[in-house]
Amino acid sequence: MKPKKNKITEKTFSKSHIAYVKRLRRDKFLIIFFRIFLLVAFIGLWELLTATNVIDPFFISSPSRIMSQIVALAKDGTLLNHTWVTLYETLIGFAIATVLGYIIAVLLWWNEKVRKVFEPYIVVLNSLPKIALGPIIILWVGAGTNAIIMMCVLICIVITTMSMLSAFLSVEEGKILLLKSMNANKFQIFFKLVLPSAMPEFVSVLKINVGMSWVGSIMGEYLTSKAGLGYLIVYGGQIFKIDLVMAATVILCILAFAMYYFVSLLEKKYNPKTKA
Amino acid sequence: MGNLLSFKNVNYFYQTKNDEIFALNNVTFDTSEQSFMSIIGPSGCGKTTILSLAAGLLKPSSGEITLDGEKQIDSKKIGYMFQKDFLFEWRSVWKNITLGLEIQKPKNIDEKLALAEELLKKYDLFSFKDQKPRSLSGGMRQRVALIRTLALEPKLLLLDEPFSALDYQTRLTLCDDVHSIIKSEKKTAILVTHDISEALSMSDKIVVLSGRPATVKEILPINLPGKTPLKRRENQQSGELFDHLWRQLINDETKEK
Repeated sequence: MKPKKNKITEKTFSKSHIAYVKRLRRDKFLIIFFRIFLLVAFIGLWELLTATNVIDPFFISSPSRIMSQIVALAKDGTLLNHTWVTLYETLIGFAIATVLGYIIAVLLWWNEKVRKVFEPYIVVLNSLPKIALGPIIILWVGAGTNAIIMMCVLICIVITTMSMLSAFLSVEEGKILLLKSMNANKFQIFFKLVLPSAMPEFVSVLKINVGMSWVGSIMGEYLTSKAGLGYLIVYGGQIFKIDLVMAATVILCILAFAMYYFVSLLEKKYNPKTKA
Repeated sequence: MGNLLSFKNVNYFYQTKNDEIFALNNVTFDTSEQSFMSIIGPSGCGKTTILSLAAGLLKPSSGEITLDGEKQIDSKKIGYMFQKDFLFEWRSVWKNITLGLEIQKPKNIDEKLALAEELLKKYDLFSFKDQKPRSLSGGMRQRVALIRTLALEPKLLLLDEPFSALDYQTRLTLCDDVHSIIKSEKKTAILVTHDISEALSMSDKIVVLSGRPATVKEILPINLPGKTPLKRRENQQSGELFDHLWRQLINDETKEK
């Protein structure tokens, strides 16, 4: 049934349109093909060059060594543990930073005077490299998971607040006036207008935070940790076991991509501009 | 019929950091019930200020404004329509129209919802009820904005150049539509515009303002034959009135220079 239907619809279009659609399809296919090709070629070349000892796998590892490293980690049960530790820190840090950063942005939007008072502090906090606060964080909340989550939160929260605040403030003045002419109070202006119109910005903040929260948790693990992917990377580096470093990095890539993918699903829902 | 809105010796100053801007100078006029009044004047003279004062969004520096016999302006009696339609893109047409009801939560909300639905049907927008505003044309969007305003059943409609962002053809037809909607719903309206022929074709009365600080130069009753704005535009007499108003505005601008 289906192909028949297609034929009918195609017949109603002009030749140039069919050619155009064909061209579109071909371009899309080419793009996907080269994406996959690049990955396969990269891995293949890497494997080939290290297997033939053109380059030394001691320094750059090789795909097969990374695979067997991951399998080994999985067998002794540590893979799941390390991955979970880092994922947990990242997700908690991501959630706290996003929620808290959003709430702070709302408070700053609510009161102009408060906003003006805090403006210079936020600018300074934003330009400060958060890693510099590492020792202070450890002193305050102790070494371990808390410190790592704290680092993650610090890295994400300022950018969340700044982006959300600027999105809140960029709402068209006339629309606020419209609601005021309808006798709306500040709560209603926020929930009926400001929050929904800042939704696309919120999704892009989520996307930024996905990247930033991984930066935060790995940096935190460099600073102080007993487990986690960041710990594996540091440990692997110290004992010159590049396979371990690479294996942890590959897992990180996969996790970060998965998290980014979930957020981009949200984007399709809330950002009509990206809906083709 | 009685007066719905009156301005008595109203002065208004805008405060800025470096200056105090004298916007309205001793403005006095009355708008009677179920009439259509236009305010014209050189650009930037303070026409929109008058609407904001009438809506209670601003308070006069001195003088008196009464709406429906009360000095305290009840903003629920006012419907404000802007130059842009300000439809919320994330809401459907229906949700846009009922926005004001959601905010004010009137006691007779069911009646008002029924009214909104009836208005949608009457003005050919019912089939677009569940669509998002982005699928509507400019003229349709302004009609949705008008129904959003009417759904609250205001006594007085304030129209702040609601047609100026539209192309000429849409503008003429929408003028007709809006005029007939306002007349058939028996509303009082004040239209601010810089377009003399638009003012002539729609109003029963035109208030001519001078440049800043705005004073009332003339209050001109209009009594053109013809039911619709389009018919009124064709009228001979409207040409003469146009000339008269044009000179009033031009005089003022040359004097300024």
